[in-house]
Amino acid sequence: MIVANTFFTRTVRTSPAVMIALLVVPVLGGLLGVLLPAFGWFPALGATEFGLFGFTELFATPGIERMLLLSYGTSLVSTLLAFVITVLILASYFNSPWLKRIQRLLGPILVIPHAAAAIAIGFLIAPSGFLSRLFSPWLTSWDTPPDWLFPHDPYGLSIILGLALKELPFLLLIALGVLAQPEIGKVLRQQHKVASSLGYCPMTGFFKVILPSLYGYMRLPILAVLAYSSASVEIPLILGPNTPPTLAVAIMQWFNDVDLSLRIKASSGAIVQILVTLSLLVTWWGIELLVKKCSAAWLTNGEREHGGMIIKLITDVITFVMVSTIILALLGMVFWSFAGFWSYPNLLPDQFMTMHWQSALTQMQAPLFNTLVIAFSSTLLAIVLTLFALESEQQSNKTISAVSGLIIYLPLLIPSIAFLFGLVWLFEQVNSQNTYLNVIFAHLLFVLPYVFLSLANSYRRLDPRFSSVAASLGAAPSKIFWQLKLPLLISPILIASALGLAISFSQYLPTLLAGAGRINTITTEAVTLANGASRRTSAVYALMQMLLPALFFILAWLTPKIFSRARV
Amino acid sequence: MKSITIPSLVIEKLQLKQKDKKLLSLDEEIIGGQVLTIMGPSGSGKSTLLNWLVGMLPNEFEATGKLYLNGADVSETPSHQRHIGLLYQDPLLFPHLTVEGNIAFAMPKGDKQERLDQISDALKQVGLEGMEKRCPESLSGGQQARVALLRVLLSKPKAILLDEPFSKLDSQLRQETRQLVFEQIQRYSLPAVMVTHDQSDATAAQGKVITLDKLI
Repeated sequence: MIVANTFFTRTVRTSPAVMIALLVVPVLGGLLGVLLPAFGWFPALGATEFGLFGFTELFATPGIERMLLLSYGTSLVSTLLAFVITVLILASYFNSPWLKRIQRLLGPILVIPHAAAAIAIGFLIAPSGFLSRLFSPWLTSWDTPPDWLFPHDPYGLSIILGLALKELPFLLLIALGVLAQPEIGKVLRQQHKVASSLGYCPMTGFFKVILPSLYGYMRLPILAVLAYSSASVEIPLILGPNTPPTLAVAIMQWFNDVDLSLRIKASSGAIVQILVTLSLLVTWWGIELLVKKCSAAWLTNGEREHGGMIIKLITDVITFVMVSTIILALLGMVFWSFAGFWSYPNLLPDQFMTMHWQSALTQMQAPLFNTLVIAFSSTLLAIVLTLFALESEQQSNKTISAVSGLIIYLPLLIPSIAFLFGLVWLFEQVNSQNTYLNVIFAHLLFVLPYVFLSLANSYRRLDPRFSSVAASLGAAPSKIFWQLKLPLLISPILIASALGLAISFSQYLPTLLAGAGRINTITTEAVTLANGASRRTSAVYALMQMLLPALFFILAWLTPKIFSRARV
Repeated sequence: MKSITIPSLVIEKLQLKQKDKKLLSLDEEIIGGQVLTIMGPSGSGKSTLLNWLVGMLPNEFEATGKLYLNGADVSETPSHQRHIGLLYQDPLLFPHLTVEGNIAFAMPKGDKQERLDQISDALKQVGLEGMEKRCPESLSGGQQARVALLRVLLSKPKAILLDEPFSKLDSQLRQETRQLVFEQIQRYSLPAVMVTHDQSDATAAQGKVITLDKLI
């Protein structure tokens, strides 16, 4: 293809390189910035000799085994749980209208920030939470809150609950997305029909025919979920035990300690964190092999009925419990945000008031402003870079290489706790002192992959004949881009923007670290408040965290509709 | 035991409607080994008919009438208990299983070695000797079509439906495969319904041909 050499085409052509550099340099630089101190090189402290004393110190920390076990266990169990329930739901409601309904119910959970979800679940399962009130005193005969350890139980059960509830909608939507792709979904459905015509009950047909193929498409997202959950900070911080916490939370505390010498131990911890994540991925791979080996004979043994009714019944119960948990958690949070005096075990607050909202909203102005400025800046940058990179694909007539494709997801695959501290060190090295810019830049690392993921398909699927027609009418590439492609793609662009904003809104660690603790957003405030005094204020902040992304998703969804109606 | 019962598929006073709009009506009896051919342009209700026969009629359609298989009323039987085999234009072999696995999947439960022997025999008969462990994607289109046929036949169906089964094959392969399919249908004495828009398929089937009209 011959492409005109204009300012526009030159800019577009360089954009993939710029995008890749913007992702690779900070992530690899950040890793380097952790690797050096991990092995003892930290000039600011006068440590200039390489050695393993960081690791020695790390493994001498009391409770380190528990930390490792907690990180490993919570992440593996929650991902397994989320995966199994996803499969049960798919198997039970495949070809049933309930699948769509469950999808619609769970979809919005995706955009709820981890911190807000953790706060909501914490409120639900706390001793004086909604759950214990719901069953008291008529069933439990409790007049005072029970003496249980939730939500900070030492076994990490609360963390598992929080992670699994957040991961499940993601995995389910990924699976439904695969099934919705015409090339894949149609074939799988037909194969299911074949199995049915061969006498397989729908449930067994799903497990023996659909799942083995479907799993292949879900593997990468599952591994991403596993990697993320092993190193996430918000949920273990809010729902986890404190003595000791998970490794990721401990690392964060050491890095933020006033005692700078802990930095070396923290850096070693970050390296160990990467190893924990890797070992989780290997474990998953091992489980996968084992299941494959054990099920090979079962797949073709001709057995056609496998207790489908019982599995269906179990799934119905699980789905009901899960959806009720989510609804109760949200409802409880709304009640807390309006509660005056609320004596135990009353199900509803004794009095309702809007005071918490009023006072929180006045205190919230600065964090809200920061949240919006950072989110809009990083999202705008991400959208522009993504669109240019995708346009460059079409001009050069080939999709970006597999390596670049993988690099885009680098910030999502490498535990952020492992490279963000190095990134802060990198900021110091290049003397970048504008904390605002640093935070926007750090957010971009996480916003960009999601925006790219969300836009790429629509952009690549746009009928190429539109451009050909426009070009034959004498339109320059820039005109085709601005006046043809962008208007045609307005809906996906707006949805990608809303997604980008939601991702930015939810960032905790990047804001905290790149902002050196000086830039407060709704999310950092919510996390701080979650372990603090007032449950009511905390509820207001968590609800704000949910309302913001919801608002922009609704706007993104409505705007094209309003415009298209105006035209008709 | 009624050993002389002739296998048969009876469609009794079938009326198919889509939102009060009449699609088709049919009243037929197909004896084992015979092929009823349904022809007609797309949109004439061919696939809706097949969906009704296997018990997968989408909700927007309505049907009255009965379906008898070897004398038993199966009109309300769920599709996986009907024992009506389906052969599509795409072979739809399961990619996660080998050729052998695909056929074993379809066969009734039983002794493992016996099942494997049966598969080898069947493969030999259709010229696919020694292909047991191959993965379906490595086979040619014609070979895949033959495996798909064996898969249906070895599942011991009581009737078989052919949904444009040869339309993806080139003309040489088409004739061979067609011949093979009709031979096997006769050999197993299966009542068959074939949907096609190719006249040569209809001629080769040597059975009754019903042409549906396109609805406006």
